[in-house]
Amino acid sequence: MQSSEEAAAASGLAKTQEAYQPGSEADFERLYRNTYRRILGTLITLVRDRATAEDCAQETFERAYRNWKSWQPDAPVEAWLHRIAINVAISDRRHQRIRQAGELLRRLGRPAPGQDPSLVAERSDLVAALKKLPPKQAAALVLRHYHGYSNREIAAALGVPEQTVASRLGAARKQLQAVLGRA
Amino acid sequence: MNDLERELESELHRVLDPVSSLPIPPRRAAHRRLSARTVLGGAGAALTFKILTGVAAAAAAVTVVGAATTGSLDPTVWGQVVEEQVQTCKNDLAQGEHGIGQCVSSFASQHGQAVASSARHQGSSKSKDNNGNTNNGNNGNNGNNGGGANGNANGHPKDRSTRSPGPPASRGS
Repeated sequence: MQSSEEAAAASGLAKTQEAYQPGSEADFERLYRNTYRRILGTLITLVRDRATAEDCAQETFERAYRNWKSWQPDAPVEAWLHRIAINVAISDRRHQRIRQAGELLRRLGRPAPGQDPSLVAERSDLVAALKKLPPKQAAALVLRHYHGYSNREIAAALGVPEQTVASRLGAARKQLQAVLGRA
Repeated sequence: MNDLERELESELHRVLDPVSSLPIPPRRAAHRRLSARTVLGGAGAALTFKILTGVAAAAAAVTVVGAATTGSLDPTVWGQVVEEQVQTCKNDLAQGEHGIGQCVSSFASQHGQAVASSARHQGSSKSKDNNGNTNNGNNGNNGNNGGGANGNANGHPKDRSTRSPGPPASRGS
């Protein structure tokens, strides 16, 4: 099963792999167009709503652009982008906790605001549970089960050795089951 | 693949597949924040302010000491006063005698005491003017009393301290 998954992942990713020249303005624009939606998709599962995910996606490409000259093509470029995106999402969650504390104080005694319409469209208990996982665990599950990444690419995206990816995925699944109350 | 993984894949595709049909917005231009933040804010600015303050204080201290010594704000005058005093001490040396340190030190102490006494008599409200006038007068004496700078520097602190011994009269040339 694992080998067929790997093969499927490899064939799926082969379509998205293109050659990019570090530092090339035109290549970065092409990279942006080829990967924006996939990066946004990952971020939607990591941060609280669509608008925040879009903002984090732009921040991801800003950071990537600043380091574009020093990018080394030995690692898959999309995994490199995902690594930046996960770090952006971690920063956003940290800031979100601070903002929530302030909003809670401001909202005291007032009715809670209505739900964001974009969230209604994307409402899913499972995705909501993913948002409660540590960002790197949630990202590992999305990279595997939605983007079809191999262990090597997940390792590059998470910044961990390839040998630890399988155990991280196992831990993420257990954590997800616990959050869903299916443990 | 277990049930959870199948459900996860199915849900992720249901939620995220519509994203792949969204229009791609224009890329936000990267803005450089480093230079302004380093120069105008944060620890960099605090450190820069401290360094500049230190340099300014050191320069002011050198200027005040030099001006008080010679009565002139021109640094070239400060050098001339010292050279003249050193030459005077050399001329006073007897044949075969070495060392002018005691001569210079003694002169500075004596002159400092004289300037401090004069300043005391003039009153504290005009003390700054008195120092300046005395020093200017000393410069006019072609360097013999030009050690007023040393006199001020050495003399005032001694004058403030009651434990300070008087000038060593035996060292006078």
